[in-house]
Amino acid sequence: MKLEEESWENRHYQLCPMDLGLFQALERERVLEVLQRDKALRTIEADRIRRLKVELQGIYHQGAKTITRPYGQRSCARCQRPLGKFWDCGSVCCGCSHRICSRCRVVRSAIEWKCTMCHAFREFKIKSGDWFLEQQAKKYTDIKENGHETTGDKLLQSYQRLSFIAVVPPTPPPFKEVKSFNKSEEPKTSKPFTKSMENLMMSVSAHIRKLSKSQNDLSVEAGQLTVNYGRLNSRRKSLSEGALDRACNLCKAPSLPDLSQNAKSSEQYASSSSVYLTDDDVSYTSAYSDEHRDSNSSTGMDCGFFENSVTGEIEVAFGYNNRTSCLEITIKACRNLMFGDMRKKCHPYVKVRLLPKKYHNNKMKTAVRRGNNPVYNETFTCALEREQLVSSVVKVSVWHSRGLKRKLFLGETFLRLADFSLEKTHTQRSVWNTLGPKQRHSLGGDVELFPSDLLLLNAQLQFLTHTDDTLTGSAGQLKVVITDVWKLSVSKTAYIEGVLHLPGERELVQRTALKKTDALQMSFRVSLQELQQANLQINLWEKHTFSLADRLLRSARLAGESSWQRLQQSPGEWHDFVLPLHATVSTNMRS
Amino acid sequence: MASATDNRYGQKESSDQNFDYMFKILIIGNSSVGKTSFLFRYADDSFTPAFVSTVGIDFKVKTIYRNDKRIKLQIWDTAGQERYRTITTAYYRGAMGFILMYDITNEESFSAVQDWSTQIKTYSWDNAQVLLVGNKCDMEDERVVAADRGRQLSEHLGFEYFEASAKDNINVKQTFERLVDIICEKMSESLDAADPAVTGAKQGPQLTEQPAAPHQDCAC
Repeated sequence: MKLEEESWENRHYQLCPMDLGLFQALERERVLEVLQRDKALRTIEADRIRRLKVELQGIYHQGAKTITRPYGQRSCARCQRPLGKFWDCGSVCCGCSHRICSRCRVVRSAIEWKCTMCHAFREFKIKSGDWFLEQQAKKYTDIKENGHETTGDKLLQSYQRLSFIAVVPPTPPPFKEVKSFNKSEEPKTSKPFTKSMENLMMSVSAHIRKLSKSQNDLSVEAGQLTVNYGRLNSRRKSLSEGALDRACNLCKAPSLPDLSQNAKSSEQYASSSSVYLTDDDVSYTSAYSDEHRDSNSSTGMDCGFFENSVTGEIEVAFGYNNRTSCLEITIKACRNLMFGDMRKKCHPYVKVRLLPKKYHNNKMKTAVRRGNNPVYNETFTCALEREQLVSSVVKVSVWHSRGLKRKLFLGETFLRLADFSLEKTHTQRSVWNTLGPKQRHSLGGDVELFPSDLLLLNAQLQFLTHTDDTLTGSAGQLKVVITDVWKLSVSKTAYIEGVLHLPGERELVQRTALKKTDALQMSFRVSLQELQQANLQINLWEKHTFSLADRLLRSARLAGESSWQRLQQSPGEWHDFVLPLHATVSTNMRS
Repeated sequence: MASATDNRYGQKESSDQNFDYMFKILIIGNSSVGKTSFLFRYADDSFTPAFVSTVGIDFKVKTIYRNDKRIKLQIWDTAGQERYRTITTAYYRGAMGFILMYDITNEESFSAVQDWSTQIKTYSWDNAQVLLVGNKCDMEDERVVAADRGRQLSEHLGFEYFEASAKDNINVKQTFERLVDIICEKMSESLDAADPAVTGAKQGPQLTEQPAAPHQDCAC
């Protein structure tokens, strides 16, 4: 019996690869019509799920709005109502382990209840079909990679290659009367498309791939197919993926190689636009901050969930007026903003903030514009000493204004002023920057750990050339001093690791325990040539109390030739750098 | 005229978003056991005795009201013929429930049930819900598979069992409704089973309240 099964399977894989070329033209058209219909259905479904998600996000924000204090034992996690010590003290929800008052509960049976949030989660899982995807994921591990690609899509693509007529969606069959069940060879019996349906399908076909992680994840193993969609896949996946997709990606631990890979791709971007930004796509806003403590975040439900899919770019120009000592920031325009609810119009505005907050306390906002490609052309000036330029970071975030309701996040980016060499010229140079997902919120338990939404690390770097080393001529030493270690008020088991990635896959690693009082120093032996292509990564690790594995908490990167050039031009001098320390999803473990 | 209205109605149904959730169901079984007829009877309440082999795959959409919920069903009809097998098996993975059909007047279709069930196990998710349906029960004269044999096999395979007739509209609606019900059961089961995992994922705040918990994990 076993043997029989195997042979059956093998036959399918080998003798009948999914080659639609085997079918006759008529059959192909017939199946194509079905696939197009399915695609239209899935598009509508994806839209519905997106709206559900926006709704859920609303519920979440209602609850999470006012959490600014450390996770309080004595207030309801949902409505923030203070709870008494003995009387009306609430109890712990079995879903999220937060203390919940008696009003924020949904009672399911005499003994069983859940908080409103957990209930909303459950409802969402049911309505979106997520429960099924989770179950599927148990059996198919590859679903994470192929999840967004559905069989329907793959078949459609293969059709588009095979069929001459199928480059455009098929013309709808004539609107004929169909007398009961009467199936014949012609496609006339199949259900006709209405014109509007077809239009809808065409207009949203671009979106579907982003969101096609609907229930029908009929992905098949790539090997099973003889058609090649690699080309299409890679292009489409490079678009920002929907939140669900991200949630799904989250299940995979973004390991360090991933991280550096991301960084590499953004480096490419940097080279074309002369901006380098360490916006690795590794930090996620999460409903519960506590995946931080958990190595395997649950199957996507509570991780990337609240993330609006972030796409789009923002054009920003900087200039520095030496006469007035003012930094001029011009927000020019945004393009391709992604807004969750397709039925409503996007009303975006841009918030600008100079970081670190300690020095600058001015927030700036643009007017609210309409549409997904708004043009602002608004300039903000803020007084800033020349010396502070190199150590400042501008945070630019885009928000959707909903009038009195809570605003929605559309994307943000961090720009290091040091990268713009503003000291030299006054003229403003505008640059398009890709928007990224939100940096980790400090919600729940880790509040004291990360007091601000972004941690900026002040580092001083120095490059020393050893002239006595005549053999290599240019060997030297890179010294790194992190001056504000006190900010990292983490547990005693935390340590800092500096990794200098050099060309040729070489890397130099230094680890130093965190002592709260001292500045932290690291040095690397490196030649001038090597340094030009190097990048420095500073990681904050924590030794885990209950397991042997250490956990990566945060990491920052310094790369780009402009940074190193500053060092090389004046060897022996200290240069200030500000490095955004991004929180990482804490699934990076190592023993 | 009436059927034109039906068509429009059907179209409207597939684009309608006024439902609570969507289930995907797959009908499988040997060629000519009556899968397409069964689907047409359920979705359109129509029947034609003419046999036309399904090309590859097809689907219909029907929204039903069950357990106070509007459930949209996308019911996939597959070709029974071997040559379409690669397309049809590709759709197994996205299906939450299956209707495995045989023809009570055709011994061969009954003996293939075992193979079909293996296919489901191979290509579908682990909790796939399957109903075994013996179709054409109106043709009692030509019956070659006794109802008892069907029942025994279904018990052996762990499926539920119905005898139905698309022609005489016997047990068609019941079959689909029962399948929807057991998918619903499976759904709440999997959600509730997932709950402890969710709790585990958010153990952070709990640690302060039950410091013993991590030690239990550690005492291996």
